This record gives sequence, structure tokens and C-alpha cells, in this order.
Amino acid sequence: MKQNRLLIFIMLAVMLMVSACGGATQTPITTEAPVTPPTEVVQLTQAPPTAVPPTQVPAPEPTAAPKVLRIALTANFTTWDPIKSFSTEAAYMANMYEQLLRINPPGSAERFTPLLAESWESSADGLTWTFHLRQGVTFHDGEVMNANAVKMSIDAARDHGGASFIWAPLNATTILDDYTIVFILKYAAPVDLIASSLYGAWIVSPKALEAVAADDTYFETGKEAGTGPYMLDSYTPDQEVVFNKFDNYWGGWKPENYDSVLCQIVPEATTQQQLLEGGEVDLAGSIPNDNLDSFKSNPDYNVYIEKSFFNYVGFFNTLRPPLDNPQVRQALSYAIPYQDIITIAFSGLGTQSRSPVPEGVWPWSDQVNQYTYDMNKAKELLTQAGYPNGGFPMRLTYASENSAEANFAPLIKDSFAQLGIDVTIESMLFNQQWELSKSDPANAQDMFLLLYWPTYSDAGSDNLWSMFYYTEAPFFNLSYWNNPDYNSQLDQAIADTVVDPAKSQQEYIDVMNLLVDQAPGVFFLDTKAAYVIPNHIAGFKYNLNYPFTPFWFYELTPAK
Amino acid sequence: MHRVEFILRRLLSSIFVLIGVSIITFTVARVIPSNAAAMYIGPKARPEDIARVTVKLGLDKPLPVQYLVYMGELLHGDLGTSIGTKRPVLLELSSRLPATLELLFTGMAIAVIIGVPMGVISARWQGKPTDVFVRVIAIIGVSMPAFYLGLLLQILFFRRLDLLPLAGRFSNELRFTNPINMVTNFLLIDALIMRNWIALKDVAYHLVLPALTLAAYPAGLVARMTRATMLEVMEQDYIRTARAYGIRETVIVYFYALKNALSPTLTVIGLTFAFALTGTFFVEVIFNWPGLGLFTVHSLLNVDYPAIMGITLFGSVMYVLINLAVDLLQAWIDPRISLK
Amino acid sequence: MSAIPAIAVEPEIQSARTSRHIISVIVRDPLSLISTIVIILFIFIAIFAYQVAPYPLEGAGKTNVSHSLLPPSLEHPFGCDKLGRDVLSRVIVGARPALIVPIGVVAFAVLIGAPLGAIAGFKGGWIDEFIMRITDLFLAFPSLLLAMAIDSALGRGIQNAAIALIVSWWPWYTRLVRGVTISLKERYFVEAAQAIGVRDSVIILRHILPNTISAILVQATVDLGTVILAMGGLAFLGLGTQPPSPDWGLMVSEGRTYILEQWWISTFPGVAIFVVVLAFNLIGDTLRDIFDPRQYR
Repeated sequence: MKQNRLLIFIMLAVMLMVSACGGATQTPITTEAPVTPPTEVVQLTQAPPTAVPPTQVPAPEPTAAPKVLRIALTANFTTWDPIKSFSTEAAYMANMYEQLLRINPPGSAERFTPLLAESWESSADGLTWTFHLRQGVTFHDGEVMNANAVKMSIDAARDHGGASFIWAPLNATTILDDYTIVFILKYAAPVDLIASSLYGAWIVSPKALEAVAADDTYFETGKEAGTGPYMLDSYTPDQEVVFNKFDNYWGGWKPENYDSVLCQIVPEATTQQQLLEGGEVDLAGSIPNDNLDSFKSNPDYNVYIEKSFFNYVGFFNTLRPPLDNPQVRQALSYAIPYQDIITIAFSGLGTQSRSPVPEGVWPWSDQVNQYTYDMNKAKELLTQAGYPNGGFPMRLTYASENSAEANFAPLIKDSFAQLGIDVTIESMLFNQQWELSKSDPANAQDMFLLLYWPTYSDAGSDNLWSMFYYTEAPFFNLSYWNNPDYNSQLDQAIADTVVDPAKSQQEYIDVMNLLVDQAPGVFFLDTKAAYVIPNHIAGFKYNLNYPFTPFWFYELTPAK
Repeated sequence: MHRVEFILRRLLSSIFVLIGVSIITFTVARVIPSNAAAMYIGPKARPEDIARVTVKLGLDKPLPVQYLVYMGELLHGDLGTSIGTKRPVLLELSSRLPATLELLFTGMAIAVIIGVPMGVISARWQGKPTDVFVRVIAIIGVSMPAFYLGLLLQILFFRRLDLLPLAGRFSNELRFTNPINMVTNFLLIDALIMRNWIALKDVAYHLVLPALTLAAYPAGLVARMTRATMLEVMEQDYIRTARAYGIRETVIVYFYALKNALSPTLTVIGLTFAFALTGTFFVEVIFNWPGLGLFTVHSLLNVDYPAIMGITLFGSVMYVLINLAVDLLQAWIDPRISLK
Repeated sequence: MSAIPAIAVEPEIQSARTSRHIISVIVRDPLSLISTIVIILFIFIAIFAYQVAPYPLEGAGKTNVSHSLLPPSLEHPFGCDKLGRDVLSRVIVGARPALIVPIGVVAFAVLIGAPLGAIAGFKGGWIDEFIMRITDLFLAFPSLLLAMAIDSALGRGIQNAAIALIVSWWPWYTRLVRGVTISLKERYFVEAAQAIGVRDSVIILRHILPNTISAILVQATVDLGTVILAMGGLAFLGLGTQPPSPDWGLMVSEGRTYILEQWWISTFPGVAIFVVVLAFNLIGDTLRDIFDPRQYR
């Protein structure tokens, strides 16, 4: 017995020592930019100030707090490197970094808002694009933003960016003078669209780019080097990120702007809702869809329901019989309870898709066909194809992280069961689902549920190409479909985008109808996004083109 | 000579266990998952990127080589880099440990404060309704799923009664109004030393529900053990003698019996600490508590293999080393042990 | 995991613990009686789940969209979940993985651990050392953590969760049986058998192991409660049963989003876990009282 007691005491003592060491050696994650100390005595860092003697700690009485915006988001940092960034951290990147230009929500008067570029033009053949840069812009670390910075950023993105493929059309970038840069393309492409992308288009300080070239973990401790209105103050992984306003921001500051923004990383939507209702945060990025009704009838809140960039697609394995028969696929497409899926899995927040191009994004058109939920038609087609009672099994995979997919997979299963098709549902981590689909098609799934979004606002060269164009090693073509007509028609439509938009649109419509008719996949729905904004916050403007960035800090102010 | 032999044997067996632990962890975390490189960069990467990362992470080398490389890094204190946060695993562990420890200590304190008196009272009134009542309460504590209890407490105290906060270690406002100077990262202590009373109150409030949830199981266990030990002690001759002398029952129970029951009870408290540890997984998930438990769950769900290896190794190595130290110490104190 | 390993039971005293004795003790203690009835009831429900459940198909996972999120009523005493499935049926069908699998886990842990412990205790020497080191190895990991790691590595699912738990649990039985064996080894009958020339393996099988049964039984009963909690916990975290199969821990997790308004989705499965584990713990207590009243309760 004594032995155990001794053991416990030693264990506790050691753990205490380890944690005390941990506390002391924790690298203070504060920004490195030369910030003029705020006049109010506020300590915003959470890291232990190892070098600061205790006497410098602010007095414990409540001090006058700076204007702080508190937000709850699910978004986490998978990387701090703006070049590599390709995921949820975009919610924060978009406030610390800027692109050359930003695309406005559909229906705006102007298509683009100039940011780091004041104006731009392209040659008639669409192969040469010239951008005139804004002068007087500095990065958070003091460097000047000029053509060299742009060239370095874009070249880095094309070379090893997370979204490097968006720069595939780029041949070279050339500096004409300090504030003029030219993009020379291999083939015509809408560089204005590409440069407005949420990924792979951030302009980064040359000093930082050099640092990361030397040490590729340079950014990961929590550093940034952008031109955006807010700069990083402190970062606690999985917990929170705090931003301070960048005093030298080229856009200038109004007294209504927030001095600081505190983003709490909260993975559960229910918790976010509770924080919002309890007044602990001003804004919440995700509210459970089912609970929106209570907010709609609450006069203290405004609920915005907007079209989003996201859609759900289900790929059929077109290499495996009987799914290699288009009639069977068409039959199955009639057997999907589209409306039920929207109502149940998405609480009504969605509209049935027309092809994998989401509504509101080029080249969507309402002249593209859709299937309806028609079990009779489904049975008829199946019988014609030679499977009057179904009789074959299907293996459906979906991402376990996605609770919506978890909810509508059983609906598909039950519906197909009525046709005599036995569906086995397998949930796995998205990475594993992905792995499985890329492995030998003989082992692969029969149906793959996918949540998709284009990297920038061109679902022709993105969605249509990525998902159904044939490449030998499938990229997102998880139906393994190879249709030469589709491939060539799509090539043509993409090529004409810049040169002859009207012709291109018509070509796209034809190619989308071909896709829908051959049904290598099911096009479930375009989702809608819902945001609950309390009345005391003004300036919320939803931009469908930037789905991961619900909140643009610079535009939000307290309401009068 | 026996002593030396004993020490050597224990050392050798500990090394064996440590190596075994590292092999098992390595196998579980790196061999079994299929394509670690793809998981590192994400799905939209091109094949050439995957190839590049595979080489960079050293995943193209044969397994035994990978293992040796890993062991080499380990001995230098390098536990690898977390895929999720891209920071060193050791840093992730050390920065989150205080949060978990603070929760654990508070929870155990509550468990002891509730459990020991419960056990004593139950033993005092053995067989009476009080005893039955306490025993039922104790066994309920041991049977209640921690994740369920946490949810219930949240609904009751946050949603319905609005008395206690929902999640996290402290409120957002605190950062700007009464920031806590993080010295030890044990927030209660940090707030205390700077006499930051407002922060202290806030932090304490945030600790209540998670600690209560965590304490349910150990409290029940401690109550049961205390009762059993007390009963056993109270059967002893010297207690009967004290009664024969006419000493009051209350004095007998609360003074003599308790004093002697304390020692084995302390042992049990130490052991329940280990079980409370596993409770932290659920409590931290429900209350969004930024400790090791939450990090472990996230790493497991995301198959962040360096983090998983780091956590498992950390826990196991601690255990083995401490066992070894205690054994050696014991042998030094009491040489007879080395003869066994 | 119960903290206290059962102390070795004297074989002589054991002969008095006939099953009749056990039954009479249980019947006389109201708590134990209720617990036994509850356990038998749940096992019955688990075996005949599809006959007992009012909506067996929904219990298995069939959706009924028009009933989405219905509150408890006469037709649906436990209400309906998001996909319109009757929660009562789901709880009933979920009793299978909740009960049968943990019984399997404990059974396998005993089957693996007990013989190893008997061999280690009986033979002693380097076999004992070796087995003990392996046991130490597995005991060096916190059991739930090891289970979680194995489970996520093998791929989430109830089978892998079960395997993971078996791997984490067997060492406890090895330790337990080894302790009993060592004390039994000193008994006369062992010496006598060895003197006659009975083989070691026969001694272990015929004499040692049967005498460990009571200790194993007490431990296993309480362990069942703990394993049920552990499996529920794994499922709650997403590491156990995968949707759309019903599982109590999984249902608590799925219902978490709706807990504020549609409380019934999480509550009833949670209560089910609690009741079953409570019953096993109470019975375990009683068994322990019977077999070794001196034992810590």
C-alpha cells in the first residue's frame, strides 16, 4: 500500500514539474510586426510573458476595454501559410491578407472590387493581362506592396500553393514597373476571376516569403504578413485567435470600426448558439439549421438565408456493372427523394441542383434539366435495362465528419430498397473515403457522397472539369466516367469563356445537359447558408463567392 | 549482490516494456493507417505533392528504418509535428497539460470532499436507511456515463437555471477587462497570486460543472472504499476495547477509526486518480475544455498520427518510469524486496 | 475498471457458496433482486429485439421522414429522432450491441487472460517473468486510450472497438488469476497431485482454474458495467458503432444537437446505459459480498 501511495505522489510531482516547464517554455505566440503599443493598458497576449517582470502586469481593476468584436467560429487553422492555405483558415486569412481584387456578390452593380490592384485590362485574345497596383500600401511587417511582392506571391502560389492548379493557365508574370505587373498566359483564361480566389491568390510580404523559403515552418507558430485591415495579435490553437486593427491599413479607419476581434474556435454549432444567446459572443458562424425558427421570430435578431457555393454530388461507379449502363443510372436518379433530403437533412435550406454547377456561379443556367422523384419512372427504366426487381447490391460511402450526409444516406438506402437494391452505408473519415475511391476501382465504392465547392467562382473550369472530365488518375472524377464528347465539348466551352462569353454559355448549357442525361452522378442540392445576426451589429454582407469567410471584420460595426 | 541483481532486472524489464510500448504505438499509429502523406496535405493535392510530402516525412523508407528514425528523434525529445496544428507535438502536450491537471485536481478534490464523509457516515450507520441511501448514491455515481451527466448538468444549470457558464475555462470579456497573467497556466493559481478576484470568480465558475461531472465516478468509488475500510477497521479489537471503556461512539468513529482508515483510503484515492483521467476525455469534449483529453479525441478522430503517438507514449512512459523509480526506491528502503 | 482486484478465495470456504445460496441471498435483498430482474429483462430484450420493438425496421435504421422529431406520445413513447425513427425501437434494437458485445468482450478477455495468468502463476520462473512483462506492457497504456488508438487505427466500427477493448482488458484477468493461482499453489491438493504425477496442464485445467471462477465472476460482473460504459463512450466520441446502426452511446451523441428542444433523443438512450450499468454494479456488489465479505465494497 505504501508503495502505491509513494507512486502517486511522485507521479503528481513529476506531472507538476512537467507542466510548469511546459508553461515556461511555451513560445509566446505574439505577432512580430512592429506595432505601436496601444494607448490603453490592455494585455492581449495569452502566452506567459517570460521576459516581463511581474510589476509590469496591468492592475486588476477593470480597465476601459477597447471596442472588441467577439465571434464564435468552427473554423480552425490547418496551416498559417497563405500560399499553402486551402481550407477553413480562409475565414481568418481573408481578414489578414488581400488579393489583387475581390469578386462581388452576384447581382452587384460592379462585378469586382479593386483591392491591391486599382485597375486592370486584358488583351483581346485574353492571353495578356495587365494589373495596375495601388500605391502607398504596406504589409504588416513594414514592407512596401509593389509589383515585386505580387510577382513573388503569385509565383509561389503557382509553384507550390495549396490551390496551385488555378494558375495552370499562367505562363509567366512580368514586372513592367514598380506598380504594373503583367500576366502572360498559355491559353485564354479569366485572370480577374482567378486572382480574386479565396485560395492561392493572397499577396504576401516578400520578407516573409523569403523566410518561409528558408524554413517552411516559418508561419506555423502563428505568424502572418499580409496587407489586410486586421493583424494577428495572439493565437491559441484549437481555442481562439485575437486580431488587432492594422493602423496603417490603406483603406483608412472610421471611429465605428472595431479595434480588436476575438474569434473563439467552437466546433459545436449548438454551443455556438448558446454562446450567442447568452451574449458571450456577438456573432456565431454556425447555428444549427433546426433552431433557426426561434431566431426568426425573435425581434432582436435578423436571419439571413442565402444561396451558397456548396453542393452535394453522388458519384456512381460507372466502371462497375450494372452502373455502367446509363439507363440504370437514370433510373436511380429518378429514385432519389430530393425534396425529403432537403427537408430532413438540411431543414429546408437548399434547392435541388441543376448539374454540379451551383446556382449563382458561372455558368449556371436554368435551362439545364433536372430529375424528379418518380418511383414509377425509376422502375420502368430499371426494367427496360434488364433489372425489373433490382437485385444488385450497392456500397455507399460518405464522410463521417459530415452530419448532413449521415442524415440523408439512409433516405437513399430506403428509397433504393423499394427498387430491390440493397445499399450498404459506410461512414468513414473523409480522408479514408477518398483513399478508397482512389484505389483499385474493383474495390471502390458504388456511390460516393461528396460535398463540393469551387475554388474560385468558375464552376465550369472547376466543378464540371474537376468532377467529370476524364483524367487517367482521377482528380475528383470519382465516377471514373470517360465520355469523349463531354471532354471535348467542355474543353471548347472553357476555351471560349474569355473570348466569347455568350457562345461559351451556350456550350456550357449543352455540356451540362449531356452530363445530366448520362447521369454519371446524382446532383442532390445546392445548399443555402443561414446567418443569425443580432441587431446590435451592422454591416453584415454575405458574399457567396467566399463561402468560408462569413464575416469581413472591416465592414462590421456596432449598430446605431 | 541481490540488490544489484534486482536493480538490473528491474531496469532491463522497464527498458523492455518501454521499447515494447514504442513499437506498439508506432505500429498502431503509423503502420495501420494507409496513406499518411495524403492525410498530411489534404485531398485536393496533386499526386506530385503527395510524392513530395512522402519523401519529406520519410515515409518512403522501409518500416524498420522509419522506426529507428523515430526512436532517434524521441531520444532527442522530438515527438514529431502534429498534422493538425503543424506545431511540435511536445509543445501541444505541454501547453495543454495544465488545463487537464487543473480539472483533474479540482475534480478529485470534490470527489474526496464528498466521498470520504459519505463513506464514514455510511459506515457509522451501517445497515440503517442512511447507509442504504449513501450506498445507492455512491453506486449511481459509479454507474452514470460521464458524457451523459455532463449534458444533463449543462441543460440544468446553463439553459434552465442560467446559473453557470456553458463551456470553456473563462469568459471572453475577461481577456480585456481583467486579463490573467499566465504564469503557471493553472488559472486558479494565476488569478490568486495576482489578486485578480474578478478573474478568480470567473474561472471558478467555469470549473464547477466540468469538475462535478468528472468527480461523479471517483466520488462514488471513494465513498465505497472509505466505507469498506472503515467497517474493517471498526471490527478491530482496539475499537472494541475503546467502546468497552465507554468512549463515545462519535469519538470512536470520527477519531480513532477514521485515523486508521485514512491510509488505505489515500491509496485508493491515488488509484481513482487514474480512472478520473479517462473521464477527462468525455468531460473536455462536452465542455470544450482545452486540455489533453480534447486534444487526444481530436487527434484520434483526425488520425493525426504524430499526436496520437506522442500522447500514448507520454502517458505510458510516465507510468513506466514512475513504477521503476518507486520499485528502486522501495528496494533501497527495504532490501528484503529485492530478494523476492 | 474496478480498482480493487478480488483477493484470492479459499477453496474450502467456496464449497459453501452453492448456487442455491447465491440465489437465496439475491432474492432476499431488494436491490439485488431488482437488478437481476432488470438484467434478465434487458438480455431478453436484446435477444428478441426485433420481436419486442414496436417498429423493428425503424429500430434497425429505416427512415420515416414524416415523423421527424415527434415528441413522446402514445404511438411513440420515446418520441422520434431526426429521421423519424421511433426512439423506443432504436433503444430496444440498440440493446443488442450494448449488451451482447460487452459480454463478448469480457468473455474473450477472460478466455485470453485467465489461462495466461494461471500458467504464469503456476509455472513461475521465466515464463512468469515473460508473461508478466507482456502484461505490464499492455497495462502501461491507460486502457481507454489504448482502445481508442487501436480503434481509430483499425477503422472505426463496433467490431474494431470490441477488439480494442479486449486487447486493453485481458491483462487485468491475467493479474487476477495469477494472484489466485499463486496462493492456490501452496495448497495441499496441488502438492498431492504433483506427487502422484499428474501433469501440470491437467492440474491447471482441472484444479486451479475452476477455483478461480468465483474471483473471475465477481470481477467480470463489475467489468461488464465498465465495458458497457466504455463502449458507450467510444460510440459517443464517434469511434464505435457507425450510423445508421442503433447504439446507445451513438444515439446520445446524435441527439446532442437537438438536446435543447428535442431532449428525448439523447435522454432515453442515456438512461438505458445508466440503468443497465447500475444493475450490473449492484449485482457485482452482492456477488462480492457473497464470495468474500471481507472484500472492499
